[in-house]
Amino acid sequence: MTITEIRTNKKVGVVVSPVNSDDLKVLTTKRYYFSWKKISLEAKLYKLCIAGQDDILGVIALVDIPEEMRIEIRLLACSKENVGKNKLYNHIAGCLIVFTCREAVKNYGDKACVSLLPKTILKEHYKEKYKMQEAGQQLYLEGESLIVLIYQYIL
Amino acid sequence: MNVNKITNNYTTDEIADSFVLTTNVKQSKSVLAKSLKDARKKTQSETSDKTKVTLKLMQLKFQIEDYLKSDKFNPKFTFSYFLKEYVDVLNKKRKIFAQEISIDETELSQLINKHRLPNDSIIIRLELHSNNAIPAVSWFKLLEMEKAHSISTNTALRKKETKNVKNRVTLNLI
Repeated sequence: MTITEIRTNKKVGVVVSPVNSDDLKVLTTKRYYFSWKKISLEAKLYKLCIAGQDDILGVIALVDIPEEMRIEIRLLACSKENVGKNKLYNHIAGCLIVFTCREAVKNYGDKACVSLLPKTILKEHYKEKYKMQEAGQQLYLEGESLIVLIYQYIL
Repeated sequence: MNVNKITNNYTTDEIADSFVLTTNVKQSKSVLAKSLKDARKKTQSETSDKTKVTLKLMQLKFQIEDYLKSDKFNPKFTFSYFLKEYVDVLNKKRKIFAQEISIDETELSQLINKHRLPNDSIIIRLELHSNNAIPAVSWFKLLEMEKAHSISTNTALRKKETKNVKNRVTLNLI
């Protein structure tokens, strides 16, 4: 997977891996907006870093629900310098969402599903950007839409 | 920082680009679960067989990739296991699949049942058959992991070979 440095338009390889206890110390509210330590009590956290580097550019909180063959995205945030009009890199959030799709497909194959319960004002954006489907208040990715995203970002 | 501060500081586009913000449940959990279940049921009924096979192949590919990356031997995840899975995912009869990679059906069964090891040609045919979805190197590394495990745990052979080694190096480099 790659993200794009906005200044140079250069693609940079990234790695997504589980957040460990040392990472939790650097995931401050000031730079990553939320109390990730608190969130880690109810969800599994993953971080996105540039390959070979330690600096965390984005974090995602996931809840695996095996009985429904589904992974729910609870929260995702990029680091402060990667939010807003002056951000440094593009596609950090997309890479973390597609990492979730890959995990779901790896675990559940053709029955895999990724879902979230978005804030209402963001629903249309996620539908348009990631081709998510609507299920009442929730959005989800399943079947062909998972394949499209995985091809777009990984393969 | 709470969500209100984010929504006050950034435009909706900027938020959608850098966050997934979720909401508290307004409806009961059972209502949410039912609406998702119903929607998924509809999506699944509309999903083509080709899409299902693609997803199953992706599953196999990702399982192999992550297993090899873990570098931790799992007795279940052998070359034979993944070859069987590959044939099953494609929903092909063994006879047909054997013809497609130009080997005898018996040879395929021997490969699947761990009675025979594949040569380089077969590994490359598997890569070509999967249209490079599962590269030859991945199939090779699965075999290599099995061999590495077998050789590192073979105490009987170590014992047997001891008599054939003389004048051992006395340095301790472990």
